Amino acid sequence: MFDLRRLLPLLILALLAVAIAGTLWMGGRGVDQGAAPTVQPGDASERRGALVDEVVFTVESDPGRITALIERGSHHLFGQGLDSATLFRQIQASPAVGHHFSRGSVAELTLNPAEFEDGQLNPFADREIREAVNWLVDRSHIAEELYGGLATPRYLPLNTAFPDYARLAGPARELEIRYRHDAERARRVIGERMEALGAEQRDGRWFHDDAPVSIRVLIRTEDNRERVGDYVANRLEDLGFETERLYRTADEATRLWIASDPAAGRWHVYTGGWISTVINRDVGGDFNYYYTPRGRPDPLWQAYDPDPELDELAERLERREYQSVEEREELMARALELAMKDSVRIWLVDQQSVWPHAANLEVAVDLAGGVTGSGLWPYTLRFRDGVGGRVVIGTPSMLTEPWNPVAGSNWIFDQMILRSLSDPAALADPFTGLYRPQRIARARVTVEEDAPVGRTLDWVELESVERIEVPGDAWLRWDAAEGRKVTVDEAEPEGLTARSRTEIEFHDGYLDRYWHDGSRVSVADMILPWILTFERADEDSALFDPGHVPTFSVYERHFRGWRITDTDPLTVEVYSDQVFPDAENLVANRVPATQPWHVLGLGIEAERQGDLAFSTGQADRRGVEQTNLVGGPALEILRDYLRAARAAERLPFEETLSEWVDPEEIRERYAALEQWQAERGHFWVGDGPFYLHRVRAVEGSLVLRRFEDFPDPADKWLRFAEPRIPEVSVDGPLIAELGEAVSLDLDIRFGGEPYPHEDIDEVRWMLFDGDDRLARRGELEPDAEGRWRLHLDAEILDALGTGANSLEFAVTATPVALPAFATHAFATVPGGRVPQPRADPAEEGDD
Amino acid sequence: MTDGAVNAARRGWLRDLRRLAVFTGKRLLALLVTVLIGVYLTIVIANMGGQVDDLRLAQIETTAAEAVRADPAFHDLPSAERTELVEQQVALEVERLRLDEPFIWRSFDYLYQAMILDLGRAEEMHSDAGSRQVFNIIAERLPATLLLFGTANLLVFFVAVFAALGLSRRYGSALDQSVIGLAPSSAAPGWFYGIFLILLLAFIWPLFPAGGMVSVPPPEDGWAYASSVLRHMALPVLAMFISQIFISIYSWRTFFLIHSSEDYVEMARAKGLPDRLIEQRYILRPTLSPIVTSFLLMLIGLWSGAIILEQVFNWPGLGTLLFEAIGHRDTPVIIGSVVIFAYLLAITVFVLDFLYAILDPRVRIEGGRS
Repeated sequence: MFDLRRLLPLLILALLAVAIAGTLWMGGRGVDQGAAPTVQPGDASERRGALVDEVVFTVESDPGRITALIERGSHHLFGQGLDSATLFRQIQASPAVGHHFSRGSVAELTLNPAEFEDGQLNPFADREIREAVNWLVDRSHIAEELYGGLATPRYLPLNTAFPDYARLAGPARELEIRYRHDAERARRVIGERMEALGAEQRDGRWFHDDAPVSIRVLIRTEDNRERVGDYVANRLEDLGFETERLYRTADEATRLWIASDPAAGRWHVYTGGWISTVINRDVGGDFNYYYTPRGRPDPLWQAYDPDPELDELAERLERREYQSVEEREELMARALELAMKDSVRIWLVDQQSVWPHAANLEVAVDLAGGVTGSGLWPYTLRFRDGVGGRVVIGTPSMLTEPWNPVAGSNWIFDQMILRSLSDPAALADPFTGLYRPQRIARARVTVEEDAPVGRTLDWVELESVERIEVPGDAWLRWDAAEGRKVTVDEAEPEGLTARSRTEIEFHDGYLDRYWHDGSRVSVADMILPWILTFERADEDSALFDPGHVPTFSVYERHFRGWRITDTDPLTVEVYSDQVFPDAENLVANRVPATQPWHVLGLGIEAERQGDLAFSTGQADRRGVEQTNLVGGPALEILRDYLRAARAAERLPFEETLSEWVDPEEIRERYAALEQWQAERGHFWVGDGPFYLHRVRAVEGSLVLRRFEDFPDPADKWLRFAEPRIPEVSVDGPLIAELGEAVSLDLDIRFGGEPYPHEDIDEVRWMLFDGDDRLARRGELEPDAEGRWRLHLDAEILDALGTGANSLEFAVTATPVALPAFATHAFATVPGGRVPQPRADPAEEGDD
Repeated sequence: MTDGAVNAARRGWLRDLRRLAVFTGKRLLALLVTVLIGVYLTIVIANMGGQVDDLRLAQIETTAAEAVRADPAFHDLPSAERTELVEQQVALEVERLRLDEPFIWRSFDYLYQAMILDLGRAEEMHSDAGSRQVFNIIAERLPATLLLFGTANLLVFFVAVFAALGLSRRYGSALDQSVIGLAPSSAAPGWFYGIFLILLLAFIWPLFPAGGMVSVPPPEDGWAYASSVLRHMALPVLAMFISQIFISIYSWRTFFLIHSSEDYVEMARAKGLPDRLIEQRYILRPTLSPIVTSFLLMLIGLWSGAIILEQVFNWPGLGTLLFEAIGHRDTPVIIGSVVIFAYLLAITVFVLDFLYAILDPRVRIEGGRS
C-alpha cells in the first residue's frame, strides 16, 4: 500500500508543475493574438501620420543593459542620454547598435569669490587668480581622458552647440586661443598674485599667516565630475596648495555651495554642471545669471561683484536693450571677454550624451535635449527597411506624476511621451531651435520699432511699426465672478498698446481635424484653456489655485489681448508686450493652447466640486487626489463626472462656449469619450500622430498606436532625421614665402556630398601670428560647389613676419546650429628658400 | 462533581483568565512601546534629526530657480521680478511641505499618524497609477512583492525543511557532505546570482526575459499574462533559491540532528519504534515551535522585499519603493512602510506567544505550573 503522507509533497510538486505547464501552454496560445505589428515595405510619402504602427515605452532603469537588450531585439531605443565612456565603447563595438549625440550638458568649476570671515586667505577672491585657473586646466585632457572623448572643450559661457556660439565664432575663437592651456602662465600669474596677497612659498608650498593655504574642493560623485574634481585638486597641489577633497552627492553638495554662506569658507571650488534640454537661441541672459548677484537670490550669487562694465552689459543683454543684431554681437563679444576676466566660473567641457538605438532605427534627436527633448521624434521614428512595426523604447521612469494637461507631470520622460499625443501648431527644429509651422499656413508678426526681433524662415512675415494699438474687441481677461470675457474696450476705455501683434492663420481644414476619440476639433477647444488660465488665478473662483498665481502674474504682465478674426480658415490675433529675438519662436509662443473641451471640462467640474485638483499643490492643500487622466483613483471620479455631464449635456462656461458649440456636438463628444474610455481605460484624448492605447502603470509599460486619421503625410519631417553638420577640410601650403601670395581651399561637405552654398550661413577665417595674436580676419565667398577659397595676399603675409602661424575657419550653416571648425597651421619663411608643399586635404577638427 | 470542586474549577478558570488578561495586556503594552520607539527612531533617522529640512529647502530653491531659468516665457523678466517669482514658488512649496514648522513638532505629528495607521499622503511620490495616498502607493506594489518573494521563500522554506529532514536521516552521506560543502555559496546574495543568471540565461542563451514583471507590452489575454509573469519570475526565483537553499538546508539539518540526539529520541529508538513515528512524534512535534516561528517571520519578511534584487530584475516591488522613498526623502512613505512592518512583526510575536502554548505543552503563562 502506498504511503500517501510520504507521497504528499511529491503530489503537490506534481500539481504545481502541471499548473505551471498549463499556464505556459495556455499563455503560448494567447501570445499569437497579440502579435507585434511587423515592418512592411512601403513608401513613407503614401502613409499618413506616424511611420511606425506602435510604440511601447517600458521602464528600464539600468543603462548598462541597454546594449545587450538592443542586440537581443527586445528594445530599440533608450530614452536617456549616457555619459559613460565604457558604455559608449560597448555601443560602438556592437554592429546592431547605433547612436546619436546631444550636447545640452556642461561641466564647469564654480569658484567661491568671497572673502572669508575667519580671515583665512581665499585665493579665488582675487580676480586674476580666478582668471589664471583658465590656463591651469587642460580642457582637452578633460574632454579626451576624463570624459573618454564624450565631451568638447568649452572655454566660454556659450554652449558650443547653440546658435550664439556660431554667431560669435570669431571672437569666441580668439578668446579660446587666449585662454588655452598654459600651465606655466597659470603658475606665474597665481604666484605673483599670491605673493601680492601676502602669501609666501616655502618648499613649494603656499603659506599665509604661517599656515598652509588649503583649498577645499567640493567634488560631485555621481558622474565624471568626480574625476574632474580630482584632476583640478591635483593641479592645485602642483601649484603648492594643500587640498581637501570633499566628495559629495548632489543633495549633500547643495547644502554647501548653495545653501551656505560663501564667506563661511566651507568650500573653494565646486565641480558644477548645468543642463539645457532645448536649444537656447539667445543666451544673452546667461551673463546676468552666471556672473551677477541678480542671477539668483542664493548667498553665493550675492557674493558676486562683477566689473561694472560686465554688470551693465549683462543687464542690457538680459533686457535685450539693443537695436540691431550687429549691436547685440558687439555687446556679447565684449561681455564674453569681461566674463573670462571675471571667471567666477571656469567652463570646462560641453558633454556629449550618447543616445543608443537599434542600428536599423532612425529618429530625429534634438541637439541639446537628445531623444527626450526632441519634438520631432514621433514624426521621424522609423525602421530604415520599411514602414510600420513596433518600436520598444526603454526609459528610466514614466508616469512619475499624474498626467493632466493643466498642471500634470512635467518630467522629461513623461513629456517625451506626451509630445507624441498632441499636434502643436509649430514644432522646434531639433538642430537650430527655430520653430517651423505644423498647423500654421502663415503668420505675420508686427513689433514696435525698438523691439529686437529678427526673422530667419519665410513662413513668418515680420514688420515694425511705431505703435501697435490693441483692437477694442480683443479679449483682455476673464471675469470669473461674472463668468464672461472682458474686452479691451471694457477694461481699457482709453485704449491699449502692445509691443507685438501676432497674426496666425491656421491651415485650411484645421477645424476639420479629429481628436483621438473621434470628436471634431472646435474653436471651443482653444477658448476653454484660456478661460481656465484666468479662473485658476482668481480668488473668487472655485478653481483658484495659489500655486498658479506667480506664473499667471508674469503672463498677465505681458498679455495684451487676443481675438479670433476668422474661422475659415481659423485666424487669431494675439497682442503681447513680450517679444523673442526670433519671430518664428515668438509665433510659437503666442499660439493659443488647445485641449479637448469635453475632457478638460470633466477635470474642471471635479475640481470645482472639490473631488480632484489639477496641481499637486492644490491637491495637497485640499487633501484630494490630483487629476490623473490615465490611472489611479481619479479615473473612477472622472467616470462619474462623465456620466453626469453626458446626462445633463453639460457644457463648461456655457454662456461663452455655446457660441461655438451646438447641442449635437455636446452629445457626440460625451458619447465618443465614454466609448474611448471604455475601450482604452483612460481619458487622455489628444490629436498627435500617436494615440494612447494602453497604460499599465505597475508593470511600467505604456503603448502608443498610430493615429490613422492624422492629416499629414508620414514623410513630412523626415528631412530632420539627421543633423547636417558641415564636414570641413582645408587644403593649403604648409610653408609660405614672404612676399608671395597664397591660396587655400576649404572643402565643406556632408555625407560625402558638397554642402549647398545656400545652406551655408557664413564662413569666417581668422589669421593668428606666431604669438597667437589675431592678425587678420574676414569672411569667405564660395568658389565652386562645396568649395570656398581664401586668398592671402603678400601684404598680409609680410605683416606676419617669419614664424609659425595658424588659420582658423568657422563655418556656420542654416540647417544646424552647431558650427564646424578647421585649423590650418603654416610657416612663413623669407622668400626663395623652399619649395611649396601642400597639406593633405584632411579634416582638421577643433582643439 | 461536588460544589466545592465546581467552585475550585471556576476559580481556576477565573485565575487563568486573569493571568491571561494580565499577560496579554503586558505583552500588548510592551509591543506597542517597542513599535512606538521603533517608528519614532525611523522618523528621526529618516529626517537626520531635522537636518533633512535644510537639504530639502536647498533642493526646493534650486529646483524653482532652474525651472524659472529654463522657461523661455520668463527670459525677459527683469531679475528682481524673476527672483520674486522664484521666492514665491519656494514659499508655496515650503508651506506645502510644512517646512516652516519645527521638525520636532512635525515628528510627533508623523508619529501620531503612524501609530493610528493613518498613512496619509506622500510628500513627493505618487503611486505608479498616480495616487498620492501612501496606502495606495504601498498596496500597489504589494502583490508583485508577495508573488515573487512569496514564491521564492515558500519554495526555499519547504524544500529546505523536507530536504533537511531527509539529510538528518542520512547523516554523513555523500549528499549530506555535498550540501554542507555548498552551504557557503549562500554568502552571496540573490542579486549576485541574478546578474550571472541574466547574463547566461537571458543574453547568452536567451531562454528567459532579462527583467521586468511581464513582457512588453503586457499581454491583454489573462492566460498569456499569467504565462508571461511566470517566465519573468523564473530567473529571480532561481536566483533567490540558489542563494538561500543550501544554507537553509544546512541550518535545518543541523537543527534536526541536534533534536534527533535527544535522550527521549534515543529512548524511542531503543524501544524499537518505527523511524517515521519517531520523526513525526519525537522530532517534528517538539521542534514545531521554532519551525512555525521561522515560517511566520519569513512571511512577514516578505513585506520588505529586496532592494537590489528588485533593481537587478527590474521588478516593481516594495524594496524598490522604499529605496525610491529614501531617495526622495518622502517621510510618510518611509514611515508607512516601516510602521506596517512593525505592526506585522508585533502581531506575529504576539500570536507566536499563544501558538507556543498551543504547540508546546511545556509552555505556560508566567506563574503557572509547569
